[in-house]
Amino acid sequence: MEVSAGTADGRAVVRLGTRARAWRVALLVVLAGLFLAGTAVGDDPWWPFGPWRMFATSTAPSGAVYSLSIEMRETGSADWRPAPITPSSVGLNRAEIEGRVPQLTADPRLLGTLARAHARLHPKDRAWTGVRVVQSRILLDGQRPTGEVVRTVLATWVAP
Amino acid sequence: MSEQGGAAAAGPRDEGRRRPEAPPEAREPLAPSEQGGAAAAGPRDEGRRRHPAPPEAREQSSTVSALLNWLMPDVPLARVALLRRAVYAFVIIDVLLLHTSGYYHGWADPAWYRPLLLGQLLHLPAASVPLVELLRWGCLAAAAVALAGRLPRLAGAAVAVTWIWYQYVAFAYGKVDHDRADFVVALLVLPTVAAAATAVDRRRSEAAGFAVRAIQLTAIATYFLSAWAKVRFGGIGWVNSATMVRAVVRRGTWLGDQLLQVPWTLHAFQWVLITAELLSPLIFVVGERWRRRMVFAWYLFHASVYATITIAFWPHLVMMLAFLPLEEYRDRFVSWFRRPRRGSPEPTEPPEVPATERTGVPVRG
Repeated sequence: MEVSAGTADGRAVVRLGTRARAWRVALLVVLAGLFLAGTAVGDDPWWPFGPWRMFATSTAPSGAVYSLSIEMRETGSADWRPAPITPSSVGLNRAEIEGRVPQLTADPRLLGTLARAHARLHPKDRAWTGVRVVQSRILLDGQRPTGEVVRTVLATWVAP
Repeated sequence: MSEQGGAAAAGPRDEGRRRPEAPPEAREPLAPSEQGGAAAAGPRDEGRRRHPAPPEAREQSSTVSALLNWLMPDVPLARVALLRRAVYAFVIIDVLLLHTSGYYHGWADPAWYRPLLLGQLLHLPAASVPLVELLRWGCLAAAAVALAGRLPRLAGAAVAVTWIWYQYVAFAYGKVDHDRADFVVALLVLPTVAAAATAVDRRRSEAAGFAVRAIQLTAIATYFLSAWAKVRFGGIGWVNSATMVRAVVRRGTWLGDQLLQVPWTLHAFQWVLITAELLSPLIFVVGERWRRRMVFAWYLFHASVYATITIAFWPHLVMMLAFLPLEEYRDRFVSWFRRPRRGSPEPTEPPEVPATERTGVPVRG
């Protein structure tokens, strides 16, 4: 609850009562505790209290940067072409699919759900009859890309 | 509520709940308290000083009350009114344009749903088209009401619930963005300010001060705790790793690609970044002028990140506004906008003066 007070110079100050101060302090303590615990031991599923780990992983100066792409085949074509992986295209974004590579390789039928989501979002487009995940490894040497890219097909789904 | 300010205008809503131990007439203005410092603690202890206590007890209680006054300084309600406008206008832009992945999750197969702890705790279902439409339009409607300054508590709470749920839907499919957690706090604390203030409301309020302080603390915690996370996940060697190179390779701009040709720049950037993050809490102990400089330095930092890898922590940028005297900027802008222009006729009526000048309170800046 708030208590109002006038001051000598005519300025009004709306003050807080004891109980109003107490629950505000309690709220801050709880939030601080959750954020600190999230950073110390939590992980992404703790959102919104998970660790702020943007750009927190280390990348070896000489090694590879992995990039994932999805390719699709449309009705009446045998060619694999890059499929746009955006939420408005398949309902999911690239990182969400990247995070499921083990499940996708174990059960490529999961890729079929992307074709179905695309059909629901874009009913006028030609249907996707095949979807596959391709991993590109962009090689680095001394913090500089070497220009060499290695492509591997990780999982393929073809419409029955 | 009246824009005139004045004690009478502040009172009616809380009249019945006024606590006897806090007689308004015993209070004094705490204007400098929002700049922090123990000096601000004085007047609040007035009542206690009448009963002499042992010196160490007195010291302890004055430390506690200094801390409380620092957490709940009295700031102009106008600042919160302007901060609300920025926050709720951002919510509308965010929901419509910036962060729409939650919306499209309504069309994704539920097989991709990976409930976060929040969802497990509250039994939140996988997204469906009706759910995302409800959250999207409900959030927009509530934000429009809050933006208009109406029903600050109810509309603010409705924005908090719908926006947080909408973000939850976005993040419960395997990828959590790390730039949006602090904004949750802004949405939670803004509705704790009951007064439906306007941009010229110069009444000062501790509830407003708490909201502003909580937003400031959370915004700075983002920097400090992300430095902690870098050490936790990237190890102490993070500063010498190729993390920025990776980010630029994956989504670099023309500028980023130029920096890639000079790898030491990105390497040095990592050192500068983690140093700035670790020192970020200093913003609470420096003077007003340096505080503003630090805020603008952070804005510059975020602009350069955007120019390099097109990543901007948009909600966080809105939160950093809590460090700035928005009502002063507004007044300056308004008086610049209404300045007499050459060739324009002399005004027949005196220009409108801010409420505080009418009530005799000096306007800073």
